[in-house]
Amino acid sequence: MNKREQALSLLLLVLSVCASGCAPVAAWERGNLAKPQMALDPYPMLNEMRGHNYSSREAVAGGSSSGGGGCGCY
Amino acid sequence: MAVTEMKARDNHTPEPVEPLPDNAFRQPKRNLLSRTTKSRILVSNSPALQALTAAALVLPGLMLSPLAAAEDDEVGLQYSHYQEGKRNLFSDVPNNRNPIEVDSIHGGARMTLYDRVKFAFNYTQDTWSGATPVTTAPKVFVGNQPISFAGSVSGASPMILRQGGQVFVDKNFNPAQFVSTDPDTGIQVFSKDAQLVHTLSVASPETRKQGDFKLSYEWDEAALDVGGGISVEKDYESRFVNLGSRWDFNQKLTSLNLGLSYTNSDTNALIDHDAQTYIDKNAYLNSGQLKIIPTGTFLQSNRQDWATNLGLTQILTKDALIQASIGYTRGTGYMANPYKVMEVLFVDPNQVLDCGDFFCDGRPADILQADLKAFLEKRPDVRNQWSLSTRYVQYLSFLDAALHFDYRYSHDDWGINAHTFEADWVQPVGNDWTVTPRLRYYSQDAADFYQPYLVINQPAAGATDYQKLPASYSSDQRLSGYGALSGGISISKQFAKGVSLETGFEYYTHAGNLKLGGGGEGNYADFNYYVANAALKVNLSALGYGGGAGDHSHHEHHHGVPVPAGVMFGHMMDKPGEIMVGYRYMYSTQAGNMLRGSDSVADQTIVNQGCGVAVVDKCFLTPNNMNMHMHMLDIMYAPTDWLNLMLMPQFVDMNMTMRRLDGAPPDAAAGDKGLHIEHHVDAGHTTGGVGDTGMYALFKLFDTPGHRVNMTLGVTAPTGDVGIMLRRNHTVDGGFIHYGMQLGSGTWDFKPSLTYTGQIDQWSWGAQFSGTKRLQDKNSSGFAFGDILQSTAWGSYSLFNWLSASVRGVYTVQGAVKGEFNGLIEKLGPMDYTNNYGGKYWDVGFGVNAFVPSGDLAGNNLSFEWLQPVVTDVNGYQLDRNGALSVNWSYAF
Repeated sequence: MNKREQALSLLLLVLSVCASGCAPVAAWERGNLAKPQMALDPYPMLNEMRGHNYSSREAVAGGSSSGGGGCGCY
Repeated sequence: MAVTEMKARDNHTPEPVEPLPDNAFRQPKRNLLSRTTKSRILVSNSPALQALTAAALVLPGLMLSPLAAAEDDEVGLQYSHYQEGKRNLFSDVPNNRNPIEVDSIHGGARMTLYDRVKFAFNYTQDTWSGATPVTTAPKVFVGNQPISFAGSVSGASPMILRQGGQVFVDKNFNPAQFVSTDPDTGIQVFSKDAQLVHTLSVASPETRKQGDFKLSYEWDEAALDVGGGISVEKDYESRFVNLGSRWDFNQKLTSLNLGLSYTNSDTNALIDHDAQTYIDKNAYLNSGQLKIIPTGTFLQSNRQDWATNLGLTQILTKDALIQASIGYTRGTGYMANPYKVMEVLFVDPNQVLDCGDFFCDGRPADILQADLKAFLEKRPDVRNQWSLSTRYVQYLSFLDAALHFDYRYSHDDWGINAHTFEADWVQPVGNDWTVTPRLRYYSQDAADFYQPYLVINQPAAGATDYQKLPASYSSDQRLSGYGALSGGISISKQFAKGVSLETGFEYYTHAGNLKLGGGGEGNYADFNYYVANAALKVNLSALGYGGGAGDHSHHEHHHGVPVPAGVMFGHMMDKPGEIMVGYRYMYSTQAGNMLRGSDSVADQTIVNQGCGVAVVDKCFLTPNNMNMHMHMLDIMYAPTDWLNLMLMPQFVDMNMTMRRLDGAPPDAAAGDKGLHIEHHVDAGHTTGGVGDTGMYALFKLFDTPGHRVNMTLGVTAPTGDVGIMLRRNHTVDGGFIHYGMQLGSGTWDFKPSLTYTGQIDQWSWGAQFSGTKRLQDKNSSGFAFGDILQSTAWGSYSLFNWLSASVRGVYTVQGAVKGEFNGLIEKLGPMDYTNNYGGKYWDVGFGVNAFVPSGDLAGNNLSFEWLQPVVTDVNGYQLDRNGALSVNWSYAF
């Protein structure tokens, strides 16, 4: 199994776990999930800047599909 | 419906089933809410259930999927400073060059255009300079040789030019260094030292600017967005488009995200001038990517990147959610770094012992001679990269905190596998403060074609040497095996009505021995950096929810007389405790004729009179155009009704193009510095970064209906750099960049002003006297700008209750520069001479001023003004002015 297949199967695993095992969370039970600290990215502006720094110093590019960022050739 | 709407707007109403969260500002727009609620209510019959459902539905998390929850209308500004630590060069030569530093600003806005249509745009600007590795070689080959200027060591050369490229290795190709010759036997003694070391090169300041946008449409359970942008720097331009979509299903417990992007980038890099003859470019000769002109070689090429990302977000429990995604990126084209070179050691293993047991030149039998050459690095022209990421967020109810865990695995066909672990602890600590400590670990394998330096088992043959090299080779530390550990903290404070301030710090350390599983690069490549940032965010969606309708009249009251955008300190707040945040932008542009006094002047006159007397000191160059952009953050606080305090950090960037003067002596007549002329003309100059920081107190002197007088006393602190130098080129030091392109004044400056404003009905007017007095004779670089006096008067008419137009006259006097740079300055044109600064100016300004008196955006003020030069009377020889634009946005709360 190559790396790509591994990645795909891991994603499918997460999917299938949730399809069977995730307890349904009713609408009125989602107050905590709505808190700002629970946002997937609580500091988008800060994290974008950090991501730009990492990608100018590390071999693995951002991985997001937004594009841009410049050369970082320093 | 009325009940639902009230609940949506009142975040303090207790709710029987579940208290409403205290972050009502994150609720979606009311119209969207109403429509969704209505459709849900139709399916529920029981009044109790109906009320319950309605109440639950106002919870923000329900309306949008977790991914989209933060998509409120918002304006954000951010500044950050990246500072690298000095590299260890394992050398006695002092490494006195500043490492890479980057100043960045980011401004962005996201707003609802119409109902479900949203538009977001961002502007980012980075300016960097400093020393960075260009290559790697054994220390005994003696890179980083000292360069002396005026008797003192001014730096180190990026070139390794030992004995015409000749170096020594043992039979196993380990580097060796000559120590001495044994006086008895005449045989040389060598030492061995495998220590590797980087050689560094310094970059003059350069700026990158990026603008991008995103347009999105929201359905009840889906969203689609399209975006694009451009990133421009002198040697690299990148254009990109992207498409994103989201589907919510499973009662919004699950969201699926799909993203696709395409990026097309051009490189147009001038290969290091300073090492022109040193860098072997032959490997690129047949690539069609080199453009050779008499004074330099450019590498011109293109790359394209396609990226796609599929993600799934799942709410696991009422306190946890997870996101998993896979990504694939394919890059094709030129993906190397045009400023990195590979040291290659050519060794003939069969060197003949010509004097019995040793070589006739004195070497013992086990020491071989080798040639060291430097080649532009090459990388494969295809890269396929796969990644798998997961993000897990857990709510800790006893702390009201959220714990974020991210893990990412990435694999590519260059042989790089990388792991990234991240943990963030988002902890609200009361009074709307949030503290977020964070830890990150990253580890990567080396690329297959990474080597610190190459050894080729053949003698060097000259121009065809590159044919013996592998297809790809790089010694860029970013492709080596290493680990990186970083930790930081960010602190944010949420103020009333959606205004929040954020600040953060992160320290990052890169080390070969931090690599997962060991086997990383040696410690010569280790480095560290820190990043400090500060940000201001205004949540526009929150403005309408924060207070009742009665609150809006208060903004109308304090708005007062409209003041043109180019006038500072024209407006004071009346209510104790009030805070105003604002952003000011000023753009000024100079181009056209060169002036002496107020008359245009011929090139020949500038050559002879604008600079020095001796031929070597004549003017060779003159500015062609010069642009300056200033970004200022305006934070104002009213402790009492008669005193306002104001803090104004600034960010500036400038660029200048130059041309040769007609009738100037040939470049060579300028001596060594003449070698810079071609480069100045080709590339121009850029600087940018933090400017001086203003601190002011505004006093209300007089206030009757219709008339107001206030006085401002303040200083600017010399936070802007005044020691910016041009890099060394053609082995000649660049020296200080022109006075006018330094980022600040370098001195503490006193800035008093007196402002009068008046108003009757639709008409308003005002006048201001202001000055800048330098409190020091000279700054750390040896000079001080001239003092400034300015007087201005304006009239304004309100066309509507929200819009007014103004006309203004301005008279300004500024003195010449006092003192002179206390270090090397390569004087080539009028801009390098202190008496060609300052002058007397008349300008006329035309402005508009828009104010939002009520509604969701009440309290916002946006104004523009164009200043058109009328009379320009300069000191000495200077470039004519084209005008200046001021933009001012402010919001009081």
